[in-house]
Amino acid sequence: MSDLLEVRDIHTYIGQFHILQGVTLRVKKGSICALLGRNGAGKTTTLKSIIGLTPPRVGQVIFDGDEIQGRRSYEIASMGIGFVPEHRAIFRDLSVEENLKLAERKPDDLKRKEALIFDLFPDLKRLIHLPGTHLSGGQQQMLAVARALVPDNQLLLIDEPSEGLAPVIIEQMIEAIRQLSAETTILLVEQNFLVASQLAEEYVIIEEGQSVQYGNMPELVKDKATIHRYLGAA
Amino acid sequence: MDRLRESIRNNLKLIITFSVLAFFYILAVQGMSTQDWVITTLRGLSVGAVTFLVASGLSLIFGLMDVLNLAHGTLFMIGAYIGWSTFVRPDTFVDLLPIAALLVAGFMIMPLWENLIGRLNLSGRIARLWPWLGLGLAALLAVYILPRYPIAIWDAEVYNDSPVSWTLGFTNGKVSSLVQPARFSGISATAAVLGLLLIGGLVALSAAGFSSNRRKAQRARGKFISPRSILAALALLALGIVLIVFNDPITGFLFTLSTNWLFLIAVLVAVLSGAALGGLMEATLIRPLYSRPIYQLMLTLGLGVIGTEFVRAIWGRSGFTMPRPLLFEGSGEGCPATTFSAWLEHRCSIILVDIAGEATRIRVYNEIFLILGGLVVLIVVWALLRYTRLGMTIRAGVQDSDMVEALGINVRRVFTLVFALGAGLAALGGVLSAPATGLSDLMGANLLLTALIALAIGGLTSFPGSALGALIVGLLQQFIIKYGQIGIPLPFLEEPFKPTPPLVPASTVLLMVIILLAMPQGLLGRKE
Repeated sequence: MSDLLEVRDIHTYIGQFHILQGVTLRVKKGSICALLGRNGAGKTTTLKSIIGLTPPRVGQVIFDGDEIQGRRSYEIASMGIGFVPEHRAIFRDLSVEENLKLAERKPDDLKRKEALIFDLFPDLKRLIHLPGTHLSGGQQQMLAVARALVPDNQLLLIDEPSEGLAPVIIEQMIEAIRQLSAETTILLVEQNFLVASQLAEEYVIIEEGQSVQYGNMPELVKDKATIHRYLGAA
Repeated sequence: MDRLRESIRNNLKLIITFSVLAFFYILAVQGMSTQDWVITTLRGLSVGAVTFLVASGLSLIFGLMDVLNLAHGTLFMIGAYIGWSTFVRPDTFVDLLPIAALLVAGFMIMPLWENLIGRLNLSGRIARLWPWLGLGLAALLAVYILPRYPIAIWDAEVYNDSPVSWTLGFTNGKVSSLVQPARFSGISATAAVLGLLLIGGLVALSAAGFSSNRRKAQRARGKFISPRSILAALALLALGIVLIVFNDPITGFLFTLSTNWLFLIAVLVAVLSGAALGGLMEATLIRPLYSRPIYQLMLTLGLGVIGTEFVRAIWGRSGFTMPRPLLFEGSGEGCPATTFSAWLEHRCSIILVDIAGEATRIRVYNEIFLILGGLVVLIVVWALLRYTRLGMTIRAGVQDSDMVEALGINVRRVFTLVFALGAGLAALGGVLSAPATGLSDLMGANLLLTALIALAIGGLTSFPGSALGALIVGLLQQFIIKYGQIGIPLPFLEEPFKPTPPLVPASTVLLMVIILLAMPQGLLGRKE
């Protein structure tokens, strides 16, 4: 299978801090790739560098054959990348429906995807007219993922989908992401190794702003030494 | 029942706020006759409406972009002056419009330049130098063409030709007889048209250069002019040529229009010019400074001062008035009107209303029309925010513009649009208030201060807050002014206490301090 996304040795600065010091990764079309590493290793910055919110100063990001680094975020997103940020970033002053509508790139996007979204997250149907403020953490996470599903995205960048959620909700989230992977490619940042290992087929480990190891998930699960070294106790 | 209790609990802060405000309002009303408080309230609402037009734009811009636009007062003032010019001197307007149309038409070849620049792939020093070269050439051309281009304009230095005299002439209906036909001298009309197009094109060239220098990292991509913008450019070109060729008949036609229509045109022109100015300001000067808020603040402050000097240079330092349109100008027989139909028939500037058994004079333009204008804008902008996609984007962008961009929305364009909208609202405030309060070179600075106070009171990023704050500030000012005339009977004092005029601005500042001490986010602001 070909690579949908390829990141080649990117270096990203935030202010004067050299956050990413050489991250390289590949995501195969149709797969789920997990981006692993300790807190502050640079996982979130990697996602933001891909989507262009913190553009890399050096290196290339290649999406579907096009170099996209240095383009404006909205252009990158419009090429077919959905971003589900850490802490969900649900718009408080917008209702659930408006949050979804805002993500439309064509006027009928939401109408086309409604069935799929409500099938994955039946809760949202009931909450459709509530303002974003009135949602629980789990519901917000569902909305954040649903928002990335409204347009036809080829790639989803999902940051910490299990963070701060109750175990039951996490189960639901895992199931939803698994269903999604049938149709889209996913690059997943996940602190919770248990969740990541259930979902991903491949992994990349980032340590202090550098990608240090990559491979197939089943092999990593057996490799206790690597897990211990880069991810702490697992 | 439970639901009611819950909604009361959720909105407790609001309920208390409004109760306290209502209490003070009732208290303020106690010391006055019924007639006085009705008039004072109307005046307060009217001042509040104008303040709101400025404050709402400020709040939209600050909410979305975190830019405190200190040039907003100047935009308000420019709106008033442009409105006056279009209203009193339609001939000047007809002379200037083709210039604007041709410049924009020339500017629209920008994508072509961008494409060319992408292909040429110029290197460092040359790439940095030639946008300035283009700008310099454009300036040179402008200096050559514009003085030779026939623009009928007043001369603020000569009393008989100053805005004051023209206003007087307008009231006496003599402007049209004083207007000279437009004749090109020293340059042919064709050369002027081509020259103006060229200036627009050169400015586009340097703009394309600047923007490509700013995003070096990006690969050049093919850009072509869309058929729609070709059509728009051609339409502008045609408009410009038609206006130049038929300058005199069009001017003559505008002079035959009733002043109601002329006023409507003036309002439209003022709002559009304000919006264009605001959009231009954002796209060229403010945009490079989004990561440097202090510089941005200094920039808007400086632009405000420059704008004020610009106004002084063109319209002179002394203030003048703007006549009211016919609809609000009637006097003599049948006036002041006592019924609505009588007002409609005679278009009286003043109506008599029976309040508590006494006939009270109410000025239609100042005390009714302005309030209605403010109300209409409040509803329209509210609906825009609530029901349109742009409004949705603005509400989302206020919270997190990065996330909006990551959804695939061009936030930068929304920024420019909102800046233009805010500036247009300020200009609307200016042109609407000009017939009521006149024009002066200080009107911008004064209103900016009032609007900022209103905004701080209402909550900096809250649109309803800007309306509430403006309302409170307007009422407070007018009540203090009224009490300055009739005095407040206070216990332990022989004479009633009369607030002096300097207390008017001081009182609003004091109110702001009190409210911010009690509620640091303002009345309707949100805790971040």
